[in-house]
Amino acid sequence: MAENKRSLFKEFSKGFIDENPVLRLVLGTCPTLAVSTSVESAVGMGIAASIVLICSNIAISALRKLIPSKVRIPAYIVIIASFVTVVQMLVNAFVPTLNEQLGVYLPLIVVNCIILGRAEAFAGKNNVLASAFDGLGMGVGFTTALFCMGFIREFLGTGTITISLLNGGNALFPAVFGDNPMTIFILAPGGFFVFGMLIALANFIAEKKGKKAAQLHSCKACPMFETCTSGEKEAEEK
Amino acid sequence: MKWYLSLVLAAILTNNFVLSKFLGICPFLGVSKQLKTASGMGIAVTFVMLMATAVTFPINKYLLEQFNLEYLQTIVFILVIAALVQLIEIALKKYMPPLYNALGIYLPLITTNCAVLGVVVLNVEEGYNFAGALANTFGAGIGFLLAMVMFAGVRERMESSDIPERLKGLPITLVAASLTSMSFLGFTGVVEGMLG
Amino acid sequence: MKKKFNAKDVLIPTIALFLIASVCTAILAFTNSITYAKIQENNEKTKNETRSAVFPDALSFSEDKTVSADGEEIVYNEAYSGYGDVIGYVFTASDKGYGGTVTVMTGIDADGNLSGVETIELSETAGLGMNAKKASFRDQFKEKTGPFIVSKDSQKNDGTFEEINALTGATITSRAVTSAVNKTVAAYKALTGGGNNG
Repeated sequence: MAENKRSLFKEFSKGFIDENPVLRLVLGTCPTLAVSTSVESAVGMGIAASIVLICSNIAISALRKLIPSKVRIPAYIVIIASFVTVVQMLVNAFVPTLNEQLGVYLPLIVVNCIILGRAEAFAGKNNVLASAFDGLGMGVGFTTALFCMGFIREFLGTGTITISLLNGGNALFPAVFGDNPMTIFILAPGGFFVFGMLIALANFIAEKKGKKAAQLHSCKACPMFETCTSGEKEAEEK
Repeated sequence: MKWYLSLVLAAILTNNFVLSKFLGICPFLGVSKQLKTASGMGIAVTFVMLMATAVTFPINKYLLEQFNLEYLQTIVFILVIAALVQLIEIALKKYMPPLYNALGIYLPLITTNCAVLGVVVLNVEEGYNFAGALANTFGAGIGFLLAMVMFAGVRERMESSDIPERLKGLPITLVAASLTSMSFLGFTGVVEGMLG
Repeated sequence: MKKKFNAKDVLIPTIALFLIASVCTAILAFTNSITYAKIQENNEKTKNETRSAVFPDALSFSEDKTVSADGEEIVYNEAYSGYGDVIGYVFTASDKGYGGTVTVMTGIDADGNLSGVETIELSETAGLGMNAKKASFRDQFKEKTGPFIVSKDSQKNDGTFEEINALTGATITSRAVTSAVNKTVAAYKALTGGGNNG
């Protein structure tokens, strides 16, 4: 049992640190850059995506023996899209302000590479409990990375942090840069820049631990990579 | 006419999908090492986006909205896109082999490209008519192509420059992307001046 | 090496996929049935709160009505006092901003003075255009009769416009809000036949 518990903890902790989906595997970059303009929307996106990830991991793992491998990608997409829509409706009904902040990026969780990537790489091959912990770890890793991005960008870009769900839209503390915050940080260029610096930092830490730097080899990080390259091989054979 | 033109220009320059809406970042960072692959991917995405808009628009308007099934939008759109990509692949393979050889390898990647689903969802949210949706999609696709091609040019130059050890690889690529997107911020004034 | 057509190879995946899709659709229909009423209620509640914010003196509002002005249909609600008298109107008008449609709710009292402006649909750049939500920008319209013009365009002002200071770095958004408010002013005039424009 102890052995079992330790391995479950490993599934959880790997997504958090060694295989952080955003900073190490470089997945889910679109929402990471798009909604990290404030802590609130960044964490909201992190939690919404994590819920979808955990649910879809559980469902896909439970159904893994029933889904014919030929149609597994469409089947995964249907399952993920359903959970996304469920989350979307719940957010709409109970946290409408978050819906307003995330906008089009909420339905776009469907094409977040982390979720399809985990379905393909983990949930389709492992049991339900391990898949749930894998989803939880990856979700926490994603949310943490988003929180860091959101905190740095909102703090430097507006000089303060505002969480409207907590205290009715007032800033948590007075702005530190007076009337001239570095607005560029909440604009698009700031997003790319902060993300680049965070990856450099993650690389530095990984290097200290004797691991390789994060890399995005053309399309290896993409969940469709295998499908894609198998098609290429087919073409070569002919 | 002016309205359509401003829609296309805004989608290319001020609301560039990659550089200001952050849609399609994976291919933007992943497939932009060479000019040739970057332009191939850009053209393939534009093509699929236009087809996807042409197909999903009537489905949404005459099927989902008629029967109050808007909540099925996400699931229907993503399935339509996935099926469409497969169909385009088969059709190109059979009838237009030269085009297939040029674009074929990018097609499977496009299913999970958030730019395609993004443009379809945005068209619905903005409530454009059919021609407006197509104009917006066209602009989004060309904007994506433009960003890919420009960035490939930047990256080809970067290969031969002296980069600090810690920033090699992905970090410096993102810094370059940051500068590229900063240059696009300047278009705000241009579009304003042309149409304002 | 031509493969034989095997019915089993095609049928089983098709059926499996069909079953998954059906179950998922059923789940969605179920969730929708639970949340639909709540979402409608939320939307109605937000609208009512916004109406009260732009027209604090009113106690209740009428159903949505439309008036056409400058070739556009504008939605409005009549604002009622505690005695049920019409003491003004709340209009909802939109214009194209930088990131998408900008929709603005504006309250106008019986004298033609603006009682408040709130943005209800805004998807502009965070930190720039999104600042249109801030009271410091919106309150510029208060207690004025319009029409308005962004101060950056003041060379176009022939004296009939009241100037509004644009948001820093977000002229397009400021113009969109101003233009939506102007549509409201036009709709008000169409509705009241000129009105008391004192």
